Amino acid sequence: MTRTVVFAREQLRASFTLALLVAIPALFVVSAARVLSDFASALGGSLAGDAAVALSAGWAAAFVSGALGFFQAASSRGADRRLALAGLGPARVAASRIAASVLLAVVAAAAAFAALVLRVEVAHPWHAAVAVIAFALLYLAIGVLVGAVIAAPLEGSLLVVFVFLLDAFGGPGMSGGSAPPWAISQKAADILIAAGMGAGSPTGDWVKLALVTVGALAASFCVFVASARSRA
Amino acid sequence: MDVVARSPVLTVDGVRKAFGHGPPWRRRRVEVLRGASLEVGPGELVGLVGENGSGKSTLMQVIVGLLARDGGTMTVPERLGYCPQQPLLWDKLTVAEHFELFATAYGMAAEQAVAARDGLLDELGFGRYLGYRVEELSGGTRQKLNLALALMHDPQLLLLDEPYAGFDWETYQRFWEMAERRRADGMGVLIVSHLLAERERLTRIYELRDGRCEAL
Repeated sequence: MTRTVVFAREQLRASFTLALLVAIPALFVVSAARVLSDFASALGGSLAGDAAVALSAGWAAAFVSGALGFFQAASSRGADRRLALAGLGPARVAASRIAASVLLAVVAAAAAFAALVLRVEVAHPWHAAVAVIAFALLYLAIGVLVGAVIAAPLEGSLLVVFVFLLDAFGGPGMSGGSAPPWAISQKAADILIAAGMGAGSPTGDWVKLALVTVGALAASFCVFVASARSRA
Repeated sequence: MDVVARSPVLTVDGVRKAFGHGPPWRRRRVEVLRGASLEVGPGELVGLVGENGSGKSTLMQVIVGLLARDGGTMTVPERLGYCPQQPLLWDKLTVAEHFELFATAYGMAAEQAVAARDGLLDELGFGRYLGYRVEELSGGTRQKLNLALALMHDPQLLLLDEPYAGFDWETYQRFWEMAERRRADGMGVLIVSHLLAERERLTRIYELRDGRCEAL
């Protein structure tokens, strides 16, 4: 627990991180919903109104969490490896890292969700809350995976943004066709759009979302373990 | 009993390590270590020298477990202290937080950790920086923290990779006095440097050349 708090504190001490963690999701929800629905109608999609506002909360949490995940994975490899070697072991270092990352991702998701419920009345707030958190955790994993491959801040951040854009514009409601199979956030988006429109979601969607989210977190954990281990 | 006391704390025998360079279709393997062997006994201060790029840091990283070896055998003690050439620290964490994290990693009790921390802060003279973040420290003070973290669990073997880079003269002198004290207490110390000016202090010096260690 102490290590988790220390690692979370490490991230929050970066200039403006705490402010951005709360401000970006809130601003995105306030300003991006109309842009999302304009893009959707230009691309032949059906996203509009409260559904667009709801989806913007998911994307807001995703964007911030992706960046946080990237910097968690890319910036501390050497010191983490030293700590693991000192006796803590890769798994315990990785567990602390993933716990700190999840903690920060949940803060970003909470800010996005708060902005959402302040802006529109959501008929299924719990559905929306879970979907926004899922967005955050999925993009946390994407950030971590990118950070494991690319350590350079500019290139890594750009790759996270590139995945984000592909996913956002190919996702549900954004175009006339169905979402591509690699759209990792598809089920989170489906549930969030449904919640925004006042509808529930089928059990199948929840199960798929749970599987994808758990898989993404497991992948993040493996990445952190690999980063803290000896190199071949 | 005498035999046990004299048995080495570090034995490296025929260690090999190669790195691959270039894309997979044009991969080139460079053998850095080609059967390196050395030994450090308890209470010995051993130097490892070699030109830039000779593989000193690679050998150190293999010994400490940061890099996997391709071949050869090694015996290392249970309590190992490692002071890397580039301080491996977290920029946003304070000196105190670094000590806390490493105390947990070494499995030290809270009182034992505080006593070790305070002793090292005093010995290396950087106690007033306890609440500072690493990003606020000078290069020399970072190096002191780097060294203190390697020492706080009183290791049986201390591995120092270019340990005094960034030290001023006073700290440099203090470092050697500290190394002598640790040696007198029975700690084995291996110092890696491209330039060892204090040869008279060392029990033995190896030179790493063509991937092998030669005793000078």
